[in-house]
Amino acid sequence: MLVIICPNCGPRNSDEFTYQGEVRPRPDVNETNPAEWRRYLYMRSNKAGWVSERWFHVSGCRRYLMLERHTVTNEIRDVEPVGSEQG
Amino acid sequence: MSSHRLDHQPGEVIDRSRAITFDWNGYPYQGYAGDTIASAVAAHGERVFSRSYKYHRPRGILTATYHDPNLMVQVGDDPNVRAAHRLIEEGMVVEPQNAWPSLDFDVKAANRLVGRFLSPGFYYKTFMAPRPLWPAYQKVLSRFANGGRVDPQTEPGRFDHRHAHPDVLVAGGGPAGMAAAIGAAEAGASVILVEEERSLGGHLRYGGSEDLTTLADLAAQVESNPGIEVMTDSVVTGRFDHNWVSVVQRSVPGVSERLVKARVKCLVVAVGTLERPYVFEGNDLPGVMLSTAVRRLINLHGVRPGERAVVLTANSSGDAAVGDLERVGVEIASVIDAREGGSVHTADGSKGVTSVLDWKGRRTEADLLVTATGWTSPTALLNMAGDRPVYVPNAARYVPNELPEEVLATGGIVGDGATDHLIAHGIATGAEAARRALMVRAFWQNAAPAGIRTDIPRVEPVGIPDLGHDLHPEMFRSSTHGIVDFSEDVTSKDLISAAKEGYDSMELVKRYTTVGMGPVQGKVEAVNAVAIHGEAVAASLLETTTTTWRPPYAPVRLGTLAGRKYEPVRYSTIQPWHEANDAVPLVAGQWIRPEHYGDPAAEVRAVRNDVGIIDVSPIGKIDLRGQDVPRLLELVYVNKWSKLDVGKVRYGIMCAEDGVILDDGVTGRLSEDHYMMSTTSGGAGTVWNWLDEWLQTAHPDWDVKPTAVTDGYASINVAGPRSRELVSRLTDIDLDPGAFPYMEVRTGTVAGVDDCFVWRIGFTGELSFEIHIPSSQGLDVWEALIAEGEDLGVRPFGVEAQRILRLEKGHFIVGQDTDGLSQGFGFGVDRAIRLDKADFAGKPELAWQAERGDYPHLVAIHTDDPELVPLEASQIVDPDGTIRGRITSARMSPTLGRSICLGQVDAVLDVADRRIEIQLPNRKRAPARVLATHAHFDPEGTRARG
Amino acid sequence: MTNTQRYSAWSLFRKGLSRSPWPRVLDHHDLQPSYGVVIVGGGVHGLATAYYLARNHGITDVAVIEKSYIGSGGSGRNTAIVRSNYLTPEGSRFYDRSVKLYEGLAEDLNFNVMFEQRGHMTLAHNDASLRTMRWRAEVNKLEGIDSSVISPEAVKELAPFLDVSDHPRYPIMGALWHPPGGVIRHDAVVWGYARAANARGAHIHQETEVTGIDVTDGRVTGVQTSRGPIATGTVINCTAGWASLVAAMAGVHLPITTRPLQAAVTEPVKQFLHPVIVSGSLHTYVSQTSRGELVFGASVDPFASYSTDGSLEFATGLATHVLELMPAIANMRMLRQWAGLCDMTPDFGPIIGPTPVDGFHVDVGWGTYGFKAGPVAGEAVADMIARGRPGELIAPFGLDRFEAGTLTAEKGAAAVGH
Repeated sequence: MLVIICPNCGPRNSDEFTYQGEVRPRPDVNETNPAEWRRYLYMRSNKAGWVSERWFHVSGCRRYLMLERHTVTNEIRDVEPVGSEQG
Repeated sequence: MSSHRLDHQPGEVIDRSRAITFDWNGYPYQGYAGDTIASAVAAHGERVFSRSYKYHRPRGILTATYHDPNLMVQVGDDPNVRAAHRLIEEGMVVEPQNAWPSLDFDVKAANRLVGRFLSPGFYYKTFMAPRPLWPAYQKVLSRFANGGRVDPQTEPGRFDHRHAHPDVLVAGGGPAGMAAAIGAAEAGASVILVEEERSLGGHLRYGGSEDLTTLADLAAQVESNPGIEVMTDSVVTGRFDHNWVSVVQRSVPGVSERLVKARVKCLVVAVGTLERPYVFEGNDLPGVMLSTAVRRLINLHGVRPGERAVVLTANSSGDAAVGDLERVGVEIASVIDAREGGSVHTADGSKGVTSVLDWKGRRTEADLLVTATGWTSPTALLNMAGDRPVYVPNAARYVPNELPEEVLATGGIVGDGATDHLIAHGIATGAEAARRALMVRAFWQNAAPAGIRTDIPRVEPVGIPDLGHDLHPEMFRSSTHGIVDFSEDVTSKDLISAAKEGYDSMELVKRYTTVGMGPVQGKVEAVNAVAIHGEAVAASLLETTTTTWRPPYAPVRLGTLAGRKYEPVRYSTIQPWHEANDAVPLVAGQWIRPEHYGDPAAEVRAVRNDVGIIDVSPIGKIDLRGQDVPRLLELVYVNKWSKLDVGKVRYGIMCAEDGVILDDGVTGRLSEDHYMMSTTSGGAGTVWNWLDEWLQTAHPDWDVKPTAVTDGYASINVAGPRSRELVSRLTDIDLDPGAFPYMEVRTGTVAGVDDCFVWRIGFTGELSFEIHIPSSQGLDVWEALIAEGEDLGVRPFGVEAQRILRLEKGHFIVGQDTDGLSQGFGFGVDRAIRLDKADFAGKPELAWQAERGDYPHLVAIHTDDPELVPLEASQIVDPDGTIRGRITSARMSPTLGRSICLGQVDAVLDVADRRIEIQLPNRKRAPARVLATHAHFDPEGTRARG
Repeated sequence: MTNTQRYSAWSLFRKGLSRSPWPRVLDHHDLQPSYGVVIVGGGVHGLATAYYLARNHGITDVAVIEKSYIGSGGSGRNTAIVRSNYLTPEGSRFYDRSVKLYEGLAEDLNFNVMFEQRGHMTLAHNDASLRTMRWRAEVNKLEGIDSSVISPEAVKELAPFLDVSDHPRYPIMGALWHPPGGVIRHDAVVWGYARAANARGAHIHQETEVTGIDVTDGRVTGVQTSRGPIATGTVINCTAGWASLVAAMAGVHLPITTRPLQAAVTEPVKQFLHPVIVSGSLHTYVSQTSRGELVFGASVDPFASYSTDGSLEFATGLATHVLELMPAIANMRMLRQWAGLCDMTPDFGPIIGPTPVDGFHVDVGWGTYGFKAGPVAGEAVADMIARGRPGELIAPFGLDRFEAGTLTAEKGAAAVGH
């Protein structure tokens, strides 16, 4: 059970969250081709190391969060609500 | 009086005023309160407790602890009970486990004669042919199962869980652990101190009077400190990611066992060391014991372990055992000092040791051989914290190497020292643990926006004194071979021959010989196994790696892990009525719903002819408010939503980004900026999250607030030609077809309940009103409908009738008629998929699906035999057996008096009146035909629009 | 067989008398500067491929490169269940071939892999899963596989410890029953293949890590290892857990996410559970070994990770679910838990076949099913290497299907696993 420090709720057990994993930017639906769209659907970096991924605080504040997690040690850093990285 | 019971001992834990009678091996035995099964039996001079797994050799006390591999017994219906841990109780029935037909006489002991043929992995080399005989071989092999028995009638005990959030958790309540707890608590930390034995003290408990005085002093300090919670008879079983620590409390009032799940800010590992056995011929004979076992028996339980002893000692524990034995009058026949090169060659005897041959060939008669040849570091918690402990040859054991910030170690697992030195190390380690923990505590408090702002304490790290290592000879195996793993009957010879056969890494040896795989998990034998393997491959311990200790450190009951049984289910607020009216329950995800009330066919007829009411409260309901709701609907549904006027409802289908159908339902516009979305009952949570995902990740600028209100409303569908008449008796809403047409929504009062909303939709194909009532009053409205509708023939109907009604109408169910690969086209709603919309979830995939055109189609099917209802999932096949589709729904239709089906078929079969064959589970083929429309009944849909 | 002594009851007896040592199962070899075929990964897939290359096609200039010891990955961490009652015709056919190979494996390899066909039972706790069980049974029957849906009474008879009483949340409404399914000694399968491949001339290099894959003009030319370079024109990626990382060394990207799959074992007790029991709704499967231990598995962890540390919530969740099924075993003790790494693909089907890089082949993405498929995958991959193209059995599992959007239909019932 990991601890995720939710920016709204503070440190919480990871079973309050659902995991979405790495996300890729969504192609323009009217311009895309099958290869590009299916990379969006199916391809992930799957790195052994720090990855940026999306979690959802489903049993808490219901915010979608981006965080960095090390996929070997499961260390977590830099938890931010989705969208805040642009502003 | 028991033959081997000593006079009162200063540190004893037994209460001689309370005698207890229990059964061992079919005979009554007496002991005292505080006796373990092992100590009480040993007090009668008994030495054999079990037979070994493979060779069925007699086995007795080895370590006299929870981890003693030879002391597994059956207590009632409880298998594999640790006899050196479980206390005796009045009337307790204890049996040996692995001694068929008896401890004394044992036919399988004949195995010993053929032991030379039972080389490691022998089973991989034989029993292969002839193949038909293999099941018979299996039976023979499985007779060897080395454990107790479970009883299907066992009443599970009571177990529970507790969450804890200590600043510091100290694993191990010996002198260093107690000191660490005191040091941490004095520095302001909240502390949990966990001790595996029933009282604090570690090795001080079976030490001399000075040790007992120190122990009393430390225990008093611990007890008087309000910052320390002590858990005795408890064991830290694991340390997981982010310092999540599991503790099993074995004796808590009111429950059999409790699992404590602790989020620990700093963990202090103070688990001490375990004494390890020495490997030589005869080392598993009853009467060969570790020095700590002897000291426990004498000092804690007042049991004389033998009459005449040989002691092999390499350290102070062995020396102390000599002192204890002498003090209680056991004759010391010989002391072999390993520090001066002494060793044991062989122990001889049949049911127990009778003589010992030393390294110089001298034979000594003795019934007790005590060994003190070194320590195994129980590095489990260190391993679980990511450490790879290092071997120190001078000390002949492993010590911690590199620990993460949130884990510290103290005491015997770190090094050696006089008691006051260990205590000083413990106190400093505890203080440092507190310093680290309090920083984490402040950081976490500050991390929550609503939390109290705390200054992060800036305290200098605490200096922890060094603990050195006493010189200790490296002793693993004598010049003879003996047992390495007592649970698995693995010998040193086995380890060496496995390595020579090519299983030459420690992990392969472990798997091939099963060394360390038994119930004590390599705790006592790990170092010996690694050293002897090293001997075979000519590597020192410095070069070989020890095997990883995996959780749990000690075995944990499944009941303890599970805790209280807690599988919540959901009921609608109308459930009391269903129960009172004999509804048959149906499990639908988390919901328990009425399947029917005795006669689903009659329920269907009531809906078709008069009026029926169904509790549809589990339907997902999501309240949507804001100016941009239409944009959201446009994005998540495949159909058009921009022009939905106030008061209208519309059916929609949602697809995921891969084009696969996700959910369906209707959404209605209640007022200018207020919508209500319905979902399938199973999809309610998924859809709610899906909406939030689009809003937060793609369109944070949109003004939409989704709120799940499924539990906020009870929902009742009133269906049938007389539904208007029934509902009109209870509501102020104008139900006239002109005022409230099909696919519209109204809000108002129903049966005196305000704030209801009603939509006119028709899953059943009949005129129907779906009433959503603030859930606390759902039951009132339901009862009012039943009462008011009596003269109209109102009848409750359940999920089964609803399934039949919708199947008659050809409406599909997401997840039943669709599956994980079903994209939007092919389900009779193709025209609703608007590829001309600018954007919606799954649009590209649906566009490509339409281009390909090779997708399965959902079709209505009639079997030629109207009485035949093919089981759902029956396959639609070509004459040669090629699968062309399957039946997804099938029922007998009370309305049509014949069977009706929906099925997925290859696109080319979707032709009206196309002949097909259904393969039934009994392998017969049923001829059938494809229908032109999905609806078996009222294809024009005039009834619902009435 | 060249340098191997046959195993039999007689040879065992003679060794017992003479006490002479057994010949080595594996030889140590120097790393050669070049090999015809380099197999990355010394698990059941890699070793079986090496074996069938030699046995069926006479190709013996083969190296198996294993970064740890043989069977150290998924092959030694799975719960050793073998079955073929898959949902799709292509899946059923494929795994049926595997079951057939497993049935003859002990004789073929002269190594007792202890395949116990105890029967495999998948419980249905609601209408929807009962329907899926029927679906599987019907497809299986058409493929000639022994598979049927049985009643709760029949369930009770086959597994008396199961609680088939009225149960609010997880009633046992029936089960999919598959008599040929069972359990096997997974390590023995690894060792048996390794011994046989070794005897036929393949070089098995343990403690040797692949650190790079050389690609020139879209063709594989060699492999870099921790013990030096190897020149080769054919590389087969037979890894699990690290499949996407190894493929990336050749510049090939795979639609894989790696998830831990945890398992646990109890202390032994006397035999009481004969068949393998699976509950999809409870994400649990359980079998009893001939040693008396219960072996448990669950679904993959809730998030991607390369950590094999295991978690407490796995243990607690598992125990809860197991006791839903068999409340009478609450006093049995969990002895140890562990995790393996599973390479999950979007449709839960494997990826076998060529890649955009010439000479670089994959046999990966097995999710939670890899062990069951070891023999048939090895046979089919060896056949592909020898003939230069994938055979019919593995044709549905190519890497190109993801871009083409022709996923395997096993996803239709992905929730009912193992």
